[in-house]
Amino acid sequence: MNWVELISMVSAGNYNEVESILREYPYIVEIADHLREEKMKVIENLSTYVDITMRNVEKLGGHAYLAKNKDDARKIAGEIVGENKTVVFSKTNAAYEVGLREYLESRHNEVWETDLGEYLVQISKGWPTHIVAPALDMTREDAAKAVRKIDPSINENSRVEDIVAAVRKFLMTKYVKADVGITGANAVAADSGAIALVENEGNIRIDTVMPQVHISITGIDKIVPTLRDAMDEVMVQAAYAGIYPPTYINVTAGPSSTADIELKRVSPATGPKDFHLILLDDGRMDASQNPDLKEALLCIKCGRCYFSCPIYRILGKDWVSTKSPYNGPTGVMWNYITNKDPWPASYCVHSGGCKEVCPMKINIPEVIKYIKYMGSKNL
Amino acid sequence: MDEDRVKKQEGLIRSVLYKNLMEDYTPFPLDKKLAVKWAAGLNVPRGGRVIIYTSYMYQMASVFKSYEKYVPTLGSLGKSRILASIGSRFIKPSDEDVERSVKILQNIYRMVSRVKADVGYLYEEEPYSGSLLYELGFLDEFKEYGRKVLQFFREKGVEEIITVDPHTTNTLANLKRYINFDIPFKNYITMIGTVKGGGKFVMHDSCLYSRFLDMYDTVRDKAKSAGIELVEDPTVTGKGVGFCCGGPVGPLNDELSNNIARARATALKSVYENVLVACPLCYVNLEPYCNVKDLAEVIE
Repeated sequence: MNWVELISMVSAGNYNEVESILREYPYIVEIADHLREEKMKVIENLSTYVDITMRNVEKLGGHAYLAKNKDDARKIAGEIVGENKTVVFSKTNAAYEVGLREYLESRHNEVWETDLGEYLVQISKGWPTHIVAPALDMTREDAAKAVRKIDPSINENSRVEDIVAAVRKFLMTKYVKADVGITGANAVAADSGAIALVENEGNIRIDTVMPQVHISITGIDKIVPTLRDAMDEVMVQAAYAGIYPPTYINVTAGPSSTADIELKRVSPATGPKDFHLILLDDGRMDASQNPDLKEALLCIKCGRCYFSCPIYRILGKDWVSTKSPYNGPTGVMWNYITNKDPWPASYCVHSGGCKEVCPMKINIPEVIKYIKYMGSKNL
Repeated sequence: MDEDRVKKQEGLIRSVLYKNLMEDYTPFPLDKKLAVKWAAGLNVPRGGRVIIYTSYMYQMASVFKSYEKYVPTLGSLGKSRILASIGSRFIKPSDEDVERSVKILQNIYRMVSRVKADVGYLYEEEPYSGSLLYELGFLDEFKEYGRKVLQFFREKGVEEIITVDPHTTNTLANLKRYINFDIPFKNYITMIGTVKGGGKFVMHDSCLYSRFLDMYDTVRDKAKSAGIELVEDPTVTGKGVGFCCGGPVGPLNDELSNNIARARATALKSVYENVLVACPLCYVNLEPYCNVKDLAEVIE
């Protein structure tokens, strides 16, 4: 099956799945509408919300940092991690955006992606194809070929179950010795300093609890006013990605703690003794002040717009440069925000499907039109 | 994507487009006798308060599709006078395409005339709308050219415009937004009354009609009320997944445009063998890969 055939099948599947979820759980649409309003409040006053968030993370006994750019983020994370450590990564677009895995590896750390798709991308030395399903373009045979590198018993005839089991077995050996767990955050609650993460595999749950240090790196656009909004965001993200209910929703509010003795809350307990939140700007603050671009910050990275986009469905990961983990219509907007690269916008055929399927009702074609225009000014 | 190629092609297109439009109101040198042939056959009044506005879209759709091929040549020809004399000879639609556009535009005009009397046409003086400038993101040039077009229409005494295709309709909507283009306009599908038609089709929506001009249902309702049977599959013809014919990226990358068209045709054929469109660009892009008809070919 070639890419065009594969993505056509996946797109139709996602369409049917999301439509079915929205029929069965109609409250998702209401939540999404409300979430848009709440996220817009943050975008309109981003620096204030960054300050509130950082203050509340510190109040919980965590550490909060604002990284102005990619370099800044790498340095902050690098100093926390140190050298010669074992690091387990959950799929995090912000870390991809700043090249964190490669940077930590260059500092003699052993770094492993633990999301299955991202792990397959890592061991294949590839690049993510889709924001939610990074190894979307890999067939079972491709996956088997990649996993054979760590388990010689896997071959091209291996079942998907066998491939998954081989990766699980390998990663378990890394989890138990991991010093640091690095995750993203689907949402960050300003009012409480808590982060929310949604997943199905269970790897995020382990990454956030087993290693004694947990670093969450995420964009400042992920800040929402309250923990309730953060929960809304993970539910909406999962629903529009086509998986609802999600298997796990994780909330992390500071380092591990207990109040079992005399109801006194003390830290650490069994989980991490340190929690660090690195909030990444990398163009987002500027975007929030640009009326033509700021709607892009509403994106919750569900990746649904990819499936409705004719260019993505033909070019796949070859569309937006490998400088960005974001592809499809999302990627055109976010590659511009984070890399100031307008050129992928030139290929936008303004089909408008992205706008129709976006849960945040972002006028994506209009944002892309602006980016096209900015590119044309530099011809 | 090959960014260097994109930059080079965009730069070339912008300079060629801008020069041609500002000097001659057309995006490239074209044989206007062929473009107005449809109206001459019907003795459509020249000019008038209310005009039908083709913007050369049906007449030149096949040429628009091949724009990428001509731009390097047009760009290297330099002087616009030479360009016009040479260009109009080598950039020509086929006889078959001309005849098809004549029939379509005459049919649209007849349907419009049943509900609106004395609709005129600007013939060789008709200006191209500027769609390509807008769709390629050349917004400064789009606004400048739009003002020129508005002024031209005013000088001609035009008080109402009837558009026949989605690109021109969408362009006027954006001129209204950007430069306060204040001449009222409407698309022919929204104004024709009871029409008759037949056949069974899967609808390939024009992106602009369905998702930018809020005409997803309008087009379907018109087809169905005419007696056309539409076969739907929400994963192929749903509003959010309607895809694209590949046309808009043609000026920058013909191969990519064709690959989109092929993929779209494959999806449509999985629903039904005959495809219905309502846009000249959709027609020329999909036509090599499936059986396709324009709405104005199956209603009257």
